[in-house]
Amino acid sequence: MRTTTKQKIAFSVLFLSTLMVILPVVFVLGTIIKNGWQGISWEFLTSMPRDGMRQGGIYPAIVGTVYLVSLSIVFSLPIGVMAAIYLNEYARDNLLTRLIRLAIVNLAGVSSVVYGLFGLALFVTFMKFGVSILSGALTLAIMNLPVIITASRESLANVPYQFREVSLSLGLSRWQTIRHSVLPFAIPGILTGAILSLARAAGETAPILFTVAAFYLPKLPASIFDQAMALPYHLYIISTQIPNIAVKTRYATAMVLVGISFTMNIFAVIIRSRLRKKKKW
Amino acid sequence: MRTLKGLLLAFSMLCVLADAGFTGELKGSIQIKGSDTMVNLAQAWAEVFCEKNPGVNLAVTGGGSGTGIAALISGTADIVISSRTMKEKEINKARENGIQPNEIKTALDGLAVVAHPANPVSKITIDELSDIFTGKIKNWKEVGGMNLRIVILSREVNSGTHVYFKEHVLRKGNEKSVEEFSPAALLMPSSQAIADEISQNANAIGYYGMGYISSKQKVIAVAKDKNSPYLEPVLVNVQNNSYPIARPLLIYTKGKPQGIVKAFVDFVLSEEGQEIVRKTDFVPVH
Repeated sequence: MRTTTKQKIAFSVLFLSTLMVILPVVFVLGTIIKNGWQGISWEFLTSMPRDGMRQGGIYPAIVGTVYLVSLSIVFSLPIGVMAAIYLNEYARDNLLTRLIRLAIVNLAGVSSVVYGLFGLALFVTFMKFGVSILSGALTLAIMNLPVIITASRESLANVPYQFREVSLSLGLSRWQTIRHSVLPFAIPGILTGAILSLARAAGETAPILFTVAAFYLPKLPASIFDQAMALPYHLYIISTQIPNIAVKTRYATAMVLVGISFTMNIFAVIIRSRLRKKKKW
Repeated sequence: MRTLKGLLLAFSMLCVLADAGFTGELKGSIQIKGSDTMVNLAQAWAEVFCEKNPGVNLAVTGGGSGTGIAALISGTADIVISSRTMKEKEINKARENGIQPNEIKTALDGLAVVAHPANPVSKITIDELSDIFTGKIKNWKEVGGMNLRIVILSREVNSGTHVYFKEHVLRKGNEKSVEEFSPAALLMPSSQAIADEISQNANAIGYYGMGYISSKQKVIAVAKDKNSPYLEPVLVNVQNNSYPIARPLLIYTKGKPQGIVKAFVDFVLSEEGQEIVRKTDFVPVH
């Protein structure tokens, strides 16, 4: 076979594989939008569900998801970033550090329902937070920690080593070096990682199933010790529990959920490129 | 002038306070948890109850009767909705935790046996049902249908509907019987999942509360035995106790209901609460 023919075959196979990656995305989004866009209205987004969730909107589910995601980031971002700084800047390569890294990699691979059960045992039952926004947010925070640590460590490691050398050679302490010469350059990457982990948290059902999700609340939660409705769980129950609900309501709910993740991802990309432009090396 | 304004302000604030005192008589929160069969009903009750009592916070959570009863035992739910009665063992466990379960009958539910609309079988006896769901009868032609393999759909073990069906159809109410669902039975996560599968699977047979009946499934009439009348799960048949597989829908409270829990229970049993039962396609108790 001639080299150019081989080249062509290789090229086609690789291109087709790439197409196969986009195909499901296009198909999923297409189906959701085609079936759901008629269900989207101002009322759908801003009113409480009525008539056994067949009428009205999904406002409490949206609010619940926003509460959960925001509170979870309050817990996971500082701890995650600090752990990443320690691991990347301070930690020596010894047995303990290697064990910690191994633990983080393994944590990232644990299935989300296990986090849900863990949250139920620790936060709901043992720490007596009850089934509440606090328990759910903490569970999501723990689930997100490995993602945030890994993303933060990577962006810290991407800051050129010379930055640290110069800073240290000018007589600055290690902490001053990290604070002024490393961290500012790593922030775009850290933020991107954080937002992507949030987008994932917003879509997870299993961790919130036992720790916070309510089937129905006639009112919005008043404190972090209340239960909340959440979009992924709401989608699950209107698809499995409610007889004779309009198909467009299900798809419209899916569309809002996908829309939130999508917006967050785009937001992450924008922040990243904005901050990148400012800090160039 | 300033004093007048001040007086007016004070007066209006007093009005607001007095107002709050009158309308917000009931305050507090109630956790309702349990049966997936009743969760839609509980939601409908909660919707109306909260409109009338804006000071009360309600949370309705599903998970299955078993989940709800476990929550009652551990004290994490105020009101448990259950489509089966508590077992002796469960009641004892609750008592050990200082909780005396108090059972209240709130509605009735006929369990519909359903198949695909194209299925010619329209009536069946409890004995035949027991044989089908335990796997002794494997083909529709044995009960007068087409030559098709039977696909059994059931709820999962956490479901009160599953337990009730096992005890009253598979075991025919005999406590010593050890009949179990055929291992080939597909365990579905919800009644709606069974309804969806039935509507597109010509081989399938399933069961669920009568609230889930729609035109996409065919309801099979059931008789206690060959000599009894074949009846459909409709309001009259369930209310006069002639339909053979009907069950009470219960709520459990911790001890005798008090305060806001009592207010909720009273509402459920009131004419308005029972009208909601009818609207959600269950059968009122009276």
